[in-house]
Amino acid sequence: MALSKIDVANMLTGLVPNDNTIRRPNAQPIIINSDMAVAQRGTSFTGVSSGSNFPVDRFEFYPTNLGAYTIIQEALTSGEAYNNGFRTALRIDTTTADASPAATDYAILRTKFEGQDLQLFKKGTANAEKFTLAFWVKSNKTTTGQVNLFDIDNNRLVSGTYTISSANTWEKKVINFPADTTGAFDNNNALSLVVEFFLDGGSNFTGGTAPTAWEAQTNADRNANNFAIGSSTDNDFAMTGVQLEVGEYTSSTLPPFQHESFGDNLARCQRYCQVYKTESAYGMMSPASVNSASAANGIFTFPTYLRAIPSLSTSGSFGLYSGDGGDAVSGIVIDANSDDASRVVCTISGSGFTDNSAAFLRAENDSDAKMTFDAEL
Amino acid sequence: MIKTIEKYYSPEGLFAYKVTLQDGTIWSVPHSEANRHYQEILEWVADGNTIQEAD
Repeated sequence: MALSKIDVANMLTGLVPNDNTIRRPNAQPIIINSDMAVAQRGTSFTGVSSGSNFPVDRFEFYPTNLGAYTIIQEALTSGEAYNNGFRTALRIDTTTADASPAATDYAILRTKFEGQDLQLFKKGTANAEKFTLAFWVKSNKTTTGQVNLFDIDNNRLVSGTYTISSANTWEKKVINFPADTTGAFDNNNALSLVVEFFLDGGSNFTGGTAPTAWEAQTNADRNANNFAIGSSTDNDFAMTGVQLEVGEYTSSTLPPFQHESFGDNLARCQRYCQVYKTESAYGMMSPASVNSASAANGIFTFPTYLRAIPSLSTSGSFGLYSGDGGDAVSGIVIDANSDDASRVVCTISGSGFTDNSAAFLRAENDSDAKMTFDAEL
Repeated sequence: MIKTIEKYYSPEGLFAYKVTLQDGTIWSVPHSEANRHYQEILEWVADGNTIQEAD
């Protein structure tokens, strides 16, 4: 058989690494939880109108005085994103509209990075690399949105735009960003870069031009292409498969998405947040050491080192139990005297306990009780 | 959006802050520069707000 008769093209499958995959400098996805599979805090939140909110781990939705939203981890069962191996997405639905936001109002979806995880981009050197951002997106709005790379260390910004071509249809977008020979990322565990999907904003963030070259950050340029998610309760925005690569790629040369096991993904998320929740009404939370008649220290040793000493938020009812019996817990406070981010001590308030006795902290007839340790950027 | 902040003390001294957000969520925040909530406390104070002493 002549060589020309052999169907070489169809012998190759996606399982064969292409040249770009082999040259990829990162062993794991640069963006953590990029398939939206991990949602430790919960999978649905309603009436979201302010502050820091996580529909899934590592992806923060931050609205400020600009409408109200339901944010969820959505299970996918069909569509092109599903057909490409994605089973979950984050989704934002506008439930209270604000079509005329005040100048300082905004609604942003973003994910953040430590500088020590970005050194492979060689930013601020003569060998600085380009960035390629790819993602699956779906919305009812056929419009153009803006995504920014915001260098926090050097207060620099570059932008890309994407257009939703067909309503309510999963579309894959690939955006190139130039290299930046100015301003290196700090090599530490602090915030260095924000990938920022600017979904709506007042006049302080519009009126400029989306910068296609790195520039000194200007607020007016951050939302020059206003997606305006808050303009109508008809609006929604869904995303999954977010991929940040070193170098410049097109939709045909982009290295394949790096699917991780759920366990690997969860462990990486736990560097930034760990949620302890019970599986039963009286589920165990931690061992404790009584240090007075009315207080004990609960000891949490984390499965993954946190990025920093965490904050703590609790919800639900807890009880403290020792050889003296049990009592409802009236307060739990993080103790910052821990010497690193591998464990923390929580001060627990109860009553009727014997000093220096062993105890344990558990849920108190509350199967929804949980403790959230937060070391997000 | 921070509503109020209160200091926590132990016999050894100040060790954390009770931060109440506008939506009612309460965070116990360590006195740690690397913690994002502590950074928000610093910004909140720089905006002219005052941390309350513990009851």
